[in-house]
Amino acid sequence: MASAIGESANIEHLATLLDRNREGIYTCVHCGLCLPACPTYRQLGDENDSPRGRVYLMRAVSESRLAIDSVFAEHIDSCLGCRACETVCPSGVPYGELLEAARAELASTRSGGVEQKLLRFVLNRFFTRRALLGVLMWIARTFRESGLAQLAFDSKLLGNRGRLALALLLSSRPALTSNAENRAAGPSVSTSPKVAILRGCVMEGLFSHVNRATERVLRKSGCELVEANGQVCCGALHAHAGELETAKELARKNIDAFRATTCDTIVINSAGCGAAMKEYKHLLADDPEYAARAADLSKKVKDISEFLIGIGAKPSEAIVARRVAYDAPCHLIHAQKIASAPVDLLRSIRGLELTPLIGSETCCGGAGIYNLQQYELSAKIASDKVDNILASGADMVVTGNPGCIMQIGASLLMRGESIRVAHPIELIDSAI
Amino acid sequence: MAKSYTLPDAVADRLVSILGKRFVLTHPDELLVYESDALTLHKHLPPAVIIPGSAEEAAAAVKVLAEAKIPFAPRGAGTGLSGGSLSLHGAVIIELARLNRILKIDYENRLAVVEAGVINVHLSEATAPGGFHYAPDPSSQMACTIGGNVAENSGGPHCLKYGMTTNHVLGVEVVLPNGDLINIGGGGVDVPGYDLLGVYVGSEGTFGITTKATLRLTRLPEAVKTLLAEFMSVTDASRSVSEIIAAGILPAALEMLDQETIKAVEESIFAGGFPIDVAALLIIEVDGLRAGLERTAAAAVDICLRNNARAVRVAADEAERQRLWGARKRAFGAMGRIKTDLMVQDAVIPRSRLPEVLDEIYAIAKRYGLKVANVFHAGDGNLHPNISFDGRDPDQVARVDAASKDIMSLCVSVGGSITGEHGVGMDKIDFMRMIFSDADMERMLAVRDAFNPEGLCNPSKVIPAMKTCRYCGFGIEDLRHKRAVHQEIS
Ligand SMILES: Cc1cc2nc3c(=O)[nH]c(=O)nc-3n(C[C@H](O)[C@H](O)[C@H](O)COP(=O)(O)OP(=O)(O)OC[C@H]3O[C@@H](n4cnc5c(N)ncnc54)[C@H](O)[C@@H]3O)c2cc1C
Ligand code: SF4
Ligand code: SF4
Repeated sequence: MASAIGESANIEHLATLLDRNREGIYTCVHCGLCLPACPTYRQLGDENDSPRGRVYLMRAVSESRLAIDSVFAEHIDSCLGCRACETVCPSGVPYGELLEAARAELASTRSGGVEQKLLRFVLNRFFTRRALLGVLMWIARTFRESGLAQLAFDSKLLGNRGRLALALLLSSRPALTSNAENRAAGPSVSTSPKVAILRGCVMEGLFSHVNRATERVLRKSGCELVEANGQVCCGALHAHAGELETAKELARKNIDAFRATTCDTIVINSAGCGAAMKEYKHLLADDPEYAARAADLSKKVKDISEFLIGIGAKPSEAIVARRVAYDAPCHLIHAQKIASAPVDLLRSIRGLELTPLIGSETCCGGAGIYNLQQYELSAKIASDKVDNILASGADMVVTGNPGCIMQIGASLLMRGESIRVAHPIELIDSAI
Repeated sequence: MAKSYTLPDAVADRLVSILGKRFVLTHPDELLVYESDALTLHKHLPPAVIIPGSAEEAAAAVKVLAEAKIPFAPRGAGTGLSGGSLSLHGAVIIELARLNRILKIDYENRLAVVEAGVINVHLSEATAPGGFHYAPDPSSQMACTIGGNVAENSGGPHCLKYGMTTNHVLGVEVVLPNGDLINIGGGGVDVPGYDLLGVYVGSEGTFGITTKATLRLTRLPEAVKTLLAEFMSVTDASRSVSEIIAAGILPAALEMLDQETIKAVEESIFAGGFPIDVAALLIIEVDGLRAGLERTAAAAVDICLRNNARAVRVAADEAERQRLWGARKRAFGAMGRIKTDLMVQDAVIPRSRLPEVLDEIYAIAKRYGLKVANVFHAGDGNLHPNISFDGRDPDQVARVDAASKDIMSLCVSVGGSITGEHGVGMDKIDFMRMIFSDADMERMLAVRDAFNPEGLCNPSKVIPAMKTCRYCGFGIEDLRHKRAVHQEIS
């Protein structure tokens, strides 16, 4: 063990970031109750790839028993960030915060390989600029619609990782072939409540059909939509990759954009973005100018399902005859602790049969771009998910996060299954 | 820390060829997380950890280790509270978490065959649709493995009525310490020959490595009623427990929480809605056929009220019942928030002595400047005093150690025992002398030698060093002694 101590030049610096989270680290009592909730531990059986193990590694770093080198990096990198461990932890370990600190430590100490550099480049150069991102998304969309993506996927010329990338893109196509897109939106019923929507980058870029459905449902439910100009990417991807400074910059821009509106609520239809914006108060806690504003904004953020249940929205009499399985996005059930709202919404749709899905609260292995970075482990996790979906007998899967829609859709495609994945709001939209 | 061990390269290479590189951990940084189980008081770094993916792989790996005379220790989920899975004498940890398949569910014969790494609650979840469950329910059931349960003969709140693990194991597949794979027991009611299964259950991983278990499935009760009784004195609560048992009521569970525990739980995210101004709470659960259950529950309520219960509440629905049990079963974690580490003690006392024992435990804690909270499986007298402390402070650790010893002596002095369900492991090994004579322990050693003659499997657990060997000077069950003897023989 002695060999691990004090060898890294970075140890001092690394210890500082995790050090600030010591209190969080020490809330772990090493009980192990979180182990079976962790998808990576379930696959590997290695305590280093479990929540208790990862917290222990962070603790060792903060106590200078462990250097921040390849072993630490490997096991922090293999974490999905799904936060299932937080939901079951009796001691209230703030795992998400600890992970962010650990990743920021890592990002600041390693130069990284080509892949790491490319990721950083894309995150910092593209995802911070709306125009550039718009072009990128347009290219992706055009490729998706042109039939070339499908052709390339079918040709089987590419390796597994390449095929997965195509399958992910293909899975962002609208799952419902209803004519909802062409339907005129209903008139605004009353002037309250005033709602602003986070358009999101991937959501607006690849899932504009879901954004439009969200707008229609909100209007039909009597909300007034207000536009928040100047809004940018929520910064979730950056925070998860340890790029905290960029994440903070984006958060500040969004705070300014939404503060400039008269909205009472910020409605978000992407669980990952919702979780990130609810955590702005934590992200900017040390920012004297923005801390209070961030806390204020976080309070206004609501997931679309949470919001609709809150205002008592009711679907119409329309019948949606489908057998659907609901899969809970980690950033909704574990990060935002919203478990029943989407299910209650789906239940209220006439004709819709909700079939139980084993492991619905377990991560699908998507986790941002984890599926491409940690291809093999992610594929195993996804494969369990597909098995459970097939066993459920559902003809459609429903989940409220773009990453999950693409990951589950892609995993089904890779298996040659035709079951599609939709956002709950698309079903509500077709029923309202 | 003690002497550090490393695994010879040749042995590591052979293990890699059996298990694959990913499942043989030897980098020192990767071994750190295996230095403790759920009791962080003890820390021992293993030289290596191996994670087999099947019984056959486990057997092949054990054969390699046995040939090289390298000791090993099985580990399940590491939720143990007696340091049972820690690496002593340089034992290689054999982690069984990947053996997590439920192989067979047979409702007709009411049994299931599972691999050793299956999580306790997963079996109950898998059999619930058929109307069955696996009855032993340790509070750690959401995480602990069947292999660990068999090793510790684990109990749980509902074992008062349904019995401990040993009452639910019909057979096991075991890798013996020489690498042979054998079956003990079987599906039948009575197996000809010696009842080795009874001996094996509770052997704390010192007889071999369980790879599969055949378990009894129990029908889910038709109806359940859960009561929460509030008491302003521990004496009144204890008296109620005794009277309930004396009245011939056999509750499915009968748990007592003291005020410190209640406070900790209510401050956590798993708050059960417990009142925090009471001295003790009783959770009383009765189950069985719907007919008659009302009457049984009413009788229990009556007894509590007669013994000055301030109020007795009945869980209105399954959700409230789940909340009560959720809070109870997470008490350990909730108490852990108070300080960085937690010592969960485990002792058995005669139920009738509870009030005085509790008073004395509070006094002991006070004497050492520590905080103690108590949870009590009241029905069978199994007491868990929990002491929160800061493991980074050697002085506190020493005080916790001393207080534990005093608490154990106290429990033994009132006619109790040193462990109810968490096992002896390495933590309680010194307490064994409080209740067993050398002759007792020599017989136990003789049984262990029948399974584990070279002492390679989970060395220096359960039975303390006893006599010193005349020739080599080591304790007779000490691994070094075994090696010395072995060298003499061969
Ligand atoms: C919060 C909490 C609550 C608890 N509540 C209870 C309770 O109510 N009742 C109770 O009885 N215990 C309880 N425990 C203690 C613990 O959970 C049990 O002892 C459990 O059976 C250990 O299982 P494990 O898989 O974690 O085993 P480990 O901790 O990994 O190992 C325990 C022992 O079993 C041996 N072992 C493990 N797997 C095998 C195998 N396959 N073959 C042979 N030997 C093996 C190990 O060598 C070790 O000696 C609790 C623990 C915690 C943290
Ligand atoms: S459940 Fe929480 S306290 Fe227990 S080991 Fe996991 S992170 Fe630590
Ligand atoms: S966030 Fe998910 S993958 Fe990471 S430790 Fe927690 S449960 Fe495991």
